[in-house]
Amino acid sequence: MTATSVHPKSPARARIRVNRLVLYTALVVITGLFLGPFGWLVLTGLKAPAELAAAPVHWLPTHFEWHNFVDAYRVIDFLGYARNSLIIATIYATLVTLSSAWVGFGFARLTAPGKKVLFGILIGSMMLPQMITLLPTYLIFARLGMVDTYWPWVLWGLSSAPYLVFLFRQFFAGLPRELEEAAIVDGCGYAGIFWRIFLPQSWPVLSASFVIAFTWTWGDYIAPQLLLSTDRSTLAVAVMTTYVSSAGTPSTNLQAAASVMYVVPILLIFLVAQRGFVAGMSTSGLK
Amino acid sequence: MTVDQASSPAVGRPRPTAQVGRPRSATRTGPSMTTRKHRAFYMFASPWIIGFSLLTIAPMAYALWLSFTTYDGISPHWHYVGLGNYRELMGDSVTWDALGRAGLFALISVPLSIIAGLVLAVLVNRPLKARGLFRTLLYLPAVVPPVGAGIAFKNLFDQNSGAANGALTFFGFDAIGWLADPYARYVLVMTVLWAAGNIMIISLAGLQDVPRELHEAARIDGASAWRTFRSITVPLLSPVLLFQTVTGVIASVQTIMPMLLAPTPGTGGLTSIPQSNYTYMIHVFAEYFALGRYGYASALLWVLFLLILVATGLIFKFTSGVVFYNVDPEAQK
Repeated sequence: MTATSVHPKSPARARIRVNRLVLYTALVVITGLFLGPFGWLVLTGLKAPAELAAAPVHWLPTHFEWHNFVDAYRVIDFLGYARNSLIIATIYATLVTLSSAWVGFGFARLTAPGKKVLFGILIGSMMLPQMITLLPTYLIFARLGMVDTYWPWVLWGLSSAPYLVFLFRQFFAGLPRELEEAAIVDGCGYAGIFWRIFLPQSWPVLSASFVIAFTWTWGDYIAPQLLLSTDRSTLAVAVMTTYVSSAGTPSTNLQAAASVMYVVPILLIFLVAQRGFVAGMSTSGLK
Repeated sequence: MTVDQASSPAVGRPRPTAQVGRPRSATRTGPSMTTRKHRAFYMFASPWIIGFSLLTIAPMAYALWLSFTTYDGISPHWHYVGLGNYRELMGDSVTWDALGRAGLFALISVPLSIIAGLVLAVLVNRPLKARGLFRTLLYLPAVVPPVGAGIAFKNLFDQNSGAANGALTFFGFDAIGWLADPYARYVLVMTVLWAAGNIMIISLAGLQDVPRELHEAARIDGASAWRTFRSITVPLLSPVLLFQTVTGVIASVQTIMPMLLAPTPGTGGLTSIPQSNYTYMIHVFAEYFALGRYGYASALLWVLFLLILVATGLIFKFTSGVVFYNVDPEAQK
């Protein structure tokens, strides 16, 4: 092995160096392309309307219109919509995290006839096209008078999410058996075991689950668009639909500024919670 | 002493007759403990069982019922038409065109994004400086919510102020109406490719599971990088790639991105969506919200649902000989 290894100044060594250079260049170019759309969004948000109409495209704003970001707040009730998004996302993420942990505990630590079949359905339901079930669900919610309330998110939250149930199941299944045996001897019920022993152990999964569910809801466009009236709707819907000038033309620059402000919190949350996010994703993708 | 079922792994070699051997003592503690466990399981599973029944099965059943009617959400004079909606659907060229567009979109966007994700994963799996940074930056677009992505691409491909046309005219080409027919479909595919970081991260986790010895053995045998990739990396990643294909197809068929790229967004602007982005899902939305034909739209939904089931089944069937499940007895615990 060592005898055949590369000599310091052999052509193979030079080739490796060229390869690295090509690799770095490729990565820098690709990364640039990937960041491009978002960069352009920021630039668009900094331009004046006249500049957006200019004939050869102005790559950089001649004057950076920072006040666009302030105006984007003012022309619509940006903070009000953000608050709606925050409320809905927090309600859903809290409930769905707790309910999924609860259900995941059952699938990980308990047995019963029919469990295997149910688990199969649970896994299969992850692949159910959600948009297909959403439309009739909307019709039912409309009939029950739950349109324009936050009840749909409460119900969705309480009913747990298969993907998160799976995350919790994987985590709980890996904990040692002695954990609940000692508690059973102490006469602790399963609910108590879950609440007092398992849940406090699962902080990494709890936070990952909360972050994932929160970003889902923050990013969801179609459910609030269908279920909520314009005033009570979320930031996603407001950013998409309400930036129209009094003349009826879209205010492109303000909308771009607003969507930057809408997206950045999610990017920040991701950067902070990166590890749990990615770990959760890979678990679900592989198993 | 606890139940034999729970403690049996701990007591060395479990005798096969262990459960039958002690019926006396088991009658007192055993069954009651097991039934307690069974009941507890259903207590824990109940949120999902109830939620799944009420918020997934019931709506689907409701849609199935609606699909046999002419219900429109307002008029009380609806009636049962049996398979009438399904018969109409079979003869509706708009439906078939929309289905064809959705199929083509899946057929192009799913393989492209998987290849892109895989290539990115291989690139950032190399020992590089700042590879963590590259990974994060490449993954970042996948975190951007659909609304953000839609607005970003609308601006990027705007006829007048977009960077895409800016670049084209800079190099002396004519500007293109990217967001109109027939180019809107390319923009739609690009929004999917933009989120390829998703597949990159999942493939990366798979790549890191590929045993190092395999690559070393291949290198000693003198295999080229491409050969190693094709004969070792891809087969070992095939379960991941299969999963990505299935979820990718399902996601692409139900995407609402055409709605977000439309000149007038939202369910009010369904008619402003260019023909080339008028996919099956958009057709469903248009029938529901622009035309209020709940019955017909529900039939469309059920057909799509069945088609997705069939497509998923076919993907699994055709890949069953190709996908390689690395069953490592030690990894199984």
